[in-house]
Amino acid sequence: LTIGALFLVSILAGFVGAIGGMGGGIVLIPALTWFGVDIKHAIAISILSVIATSSGSAAAYVRDGLTNLRLGMFLEMFTMLGALAGAALAVSLPSRLLFFLLGTVLLCSAALLWARRKEEWKPPDSQDSLSRWLELEGIYLDHATGGAIEYRAIRAHLGGPLMFLAGMVAGLLGIGAGALKVLIHDLIMKLPPKVSTATSNLIIGVTALAGASVYLAQGLLLPGLAVPVILGVVAGAFLGTRVLVKLPNRVVHRVFFFLLLILGTEVIVRGIRKTP
Amino acid sequence: MERVVGRILFAGVSVSVCCLAAGLLWQWASIGQPRFDYELPHTHIARFLLGELTAVVHGRVSPARLINLGILALLLTPYLRVVLSMVYFVAIERNYKYGIITGFVGTILTYSLFSR
Repeated sequence: LTIGALFLVSILAGFVGAIGGMGGGIVLIPALTWFGVDIKHAIAISILSVIATSSGSAAAYVRDGLTNLRLGMFLEMFTMLGALAGAALAVSLPSRLLFFLLGTVLLCSAALLWARRKEEWKPPDSQDSLSRWLELEGIYLDHATGGAIEYRAIRAHLGGPLMFLAGMVAGLLGIGAGALKVLIHDLIMKLPPKVSTATSNLIIGVTALAGASVYLAQGLLLPGLAVPVILGVVAGAFLGTRVLVKLPNRVVHRVFFFLLLILGTEVIVRGIRKTP
Repeated sequence: MERVVGRILFAGVSVSVCCLAAGLLWQWASIGQPRFDYELPHTHIARFLLGELTAVVHGRVSPARLINLGILALLLTPYLRVVLSMVYFVAIERNYKYGIITGFVGTILTYSLFSR
């Protein structure tokens, strides 16, 4: 296992994470286990890579005005409570079943996105009172079309509790669950795809941090792995942010669809391999 | 607000990357290969931070210490982002609604820094 190979894989992980609104776990965990790293160490390093992708890409997305900070901070409340609840329950629940459930949710969402692939994003007609009270709206400059795009989030009353569930899944299974967060932004709260991705990237950082201390205390974070992974992920995330701002929303959606397919399959395979 | 948060995140990641790169090069120069085989202390983030800072204050600096500081800078970046956003919402924007929301997130995060 050479430091160079780790670095290259991590660049890819950061790149995919920054464009997909998730951590690099989708790339990093299978790659590290394939290199012969124990799955527990791989998950711990992946938590660190989520924080690196999140801060590295959010630094650029926030500056570009793609991240909706208020929405991010409102949803962070729920996802963090969920993550703590999930971590507390982790010992008593059958994780095999959870892997299957999560895999099914991801694949069904992929099917839903595929069915709606012809639809262009358009702003919802009206905003509910809770979302308006929370000032969940924004405007960003789309580099792909050159125009300013105004948007309003809707259904904050559904988005919050669903975010709690997404955080719980993250805490239970030791994954970032960024894909679930993007889905909630996209399908429930009707955000434009780029804003969904960028805001999810902001949120996954604090969710991952909430779990990081436990991995550190259990001695699962190996500095020998952490160094090349963090350096690679930050470089990859930076590249990813430069690409995302230039992509049309349609392509962002398409990329996310493929990531869901891969991730859904990966999660189900992990459920099958796991000894109950 | 956007400018402040963007700068905090950029600064945190830059500090982390610089510490890690410097530690890696130092290790490479001193033992001939860029490898780290030591383990991090088995403790929560708050004590890890305290231990490393104490060591630095006493002038004990090594490649491994730079790596530890780099990892800590990365871990504390989202935390700082939340805490400083709360201050910004309350002190500058006078948006108490979001002051409470970020305060809540900050409280849970602070608690999690001590969890093991």
